[in-house]
Amino acid sequence: MKKILRFILPIFIVALVWGFISRASIVNPFLFPPPSKVFLAFLEMIRSGVLFSDMKDSLWRLLIGLLLGSVLGIVIGLITGRVKKISSFIVPIIQVLRPLPPVAIIPLVIVWFGIGDGAKIFSIAFGVIFPVWLNTHIGAQQIPEAFLWTAKLLTKSTIKTFRKVILPAATPFIVAGIRTAIAVSFVMIFVSELAGASSGLGYRISIAQLSYRLDEMIAALFVLGALGALVDMLFVYSTKKIFPWLKLENK
Amino acid sequence: MNQIEVENLAVKKGDASILKGIEFSAKQGEFVAIVGGSGSGKTTFLQALAGFIPFSGKVIMPENKGMIFQQYAAFPWLTVRENIMFGLDKHAPEQREKIVAEHIRLSRLEGKENDYPGQLSGGQIQRVALARSLAHDPEVLLMDEPYGALDAYTRDQMQEWLMDVWTKYKKTIIFVTHNIEEAIFMADRVLVLKEGKFTEEFKIEFKRPRKEEIKFMEEFNRMKKEIYRAI
Repeated sequence: MKKILRFILPIFIVALVWGFISRASIVNPFLFPPPSKVFLAFLEMIRSGVLFSDMKDSLWRLLIGLLLGSVLGIVIGLITGRVKKISSFIVPIIQVLRPLPPVAIIPLVIVWFGIGDGAKIFSIAFGVIFPVWLNTHIGAQQIPEAFLWTAKLLTKSTIKTFRKVILPAATPFIVAGIRTAIAVSFVMIFVSELAGASSGLGYRISIAQLSYRLDEMIAALFVLGALGALVDMLFVYSTKKIFPWLKLENK
Repeated sequence: MNQIEVENLAVKKGDASILKGIEFSAKQGEFVAIVGGSGSGKTTFLQALAGFIPFSGKVIMPENKGMIFQQYAAFPWLTVRENIMFGLDKHAPEQREKIVAEHIRLSRLEGKENDYPGQLSGGQIQRVALARSLAHDPEVLLMDEPYGALDAYTRDQMQEWLMDVWTKYKKTIIFVTHNIEEAIFMADRVLVLKEGKFTEEFKIEFKRPRKEEIKFMEEFNRMKKEIYRAI
């Protein structure tokens, strides 16, 4: 109960201050609608069904992009972190692509893939792959030699060593990489739905902007933020369940 | 007949010579302790024996060997049971279970089968590491200061337990330690490694099975002093 209160109290205070500023007309209430108006817009979006359909469209694009980018990032990171010959070939390519702001590729992606779901999924995967790759790469490089030597003495299978030793030893780094990637994926879904989409929370925000529905726009922004927090929380919760030893190691 | 033969073993790391022309041999079932100061090359010697690092010279070692480290001894992401089972792929599932059960009992880890190393004490983790190695049935065990991070009481207990295990399995053990008392208590021979070379060898004649009490004997202390001076 205390935990929930500690979470809700700051939000409540912010809403209170926000309501005061808006109603006292310290700023133009049209540009800064009070929380009550935003809440009504939020209810209206639920009632009309657009909110859930937008959420559903945004979420599945995001999850598929996140999954694709993470899997690729992990696989490439494990290989570049452990296999020097392949690393010397792949790492320079990645290092040239990595500093690109992921949103900068969206115009190119639209030309390549059009405005369908494939374009959005590709954009998200592109944004996700680099933080996951970098963390996995570093994690795989930093595995204590004692683990690798022990594996070498106990098994001759390279696949088993990768699966049962290198992958779990790099897991704390991979988890950190995916958490960064979750934040990136929300940026990417928003931006890719702003340009050339007919559904999704990013699309809803851009439409609300065109029709000057600032209440609807802020409501959709809140939903996007809340979804980001929820996905991150779910990810942290599931990693604790799937890898109980991670918590023990941190102790 | 010697089981391990080392001739003119040398290891360089960059420009530094860590081991310089080492001669060494050990018989099957022998317990050899290697002592020396920090940077004397003890750990490097074990790594060369295991074949983990490049070296020059000749090393004859059995193919099937185990190594126990002070740090990162057990895989933190595997339970006790999974750790011990790690190297047992070639066995049939029923036999695997039997071997694991035997080593859990031997390591006094009953009830801890499903615990992760993060839930165990330092001594228990070292027992998991040894159990995992023994389950793989190596001919030689290389132990790199396995008890270096343990408190004095746990260390004494672990020494006695290792003696029991060694008596039962009679594996050849090369045990590196900076603790002279530990070396004398357990080994048949204590070798002093100094600046990359074995400088002295001490035969330990105390009768087996050895109990804690021998650590208070005059002869034990005399030997301790001698080895201390040699280091």
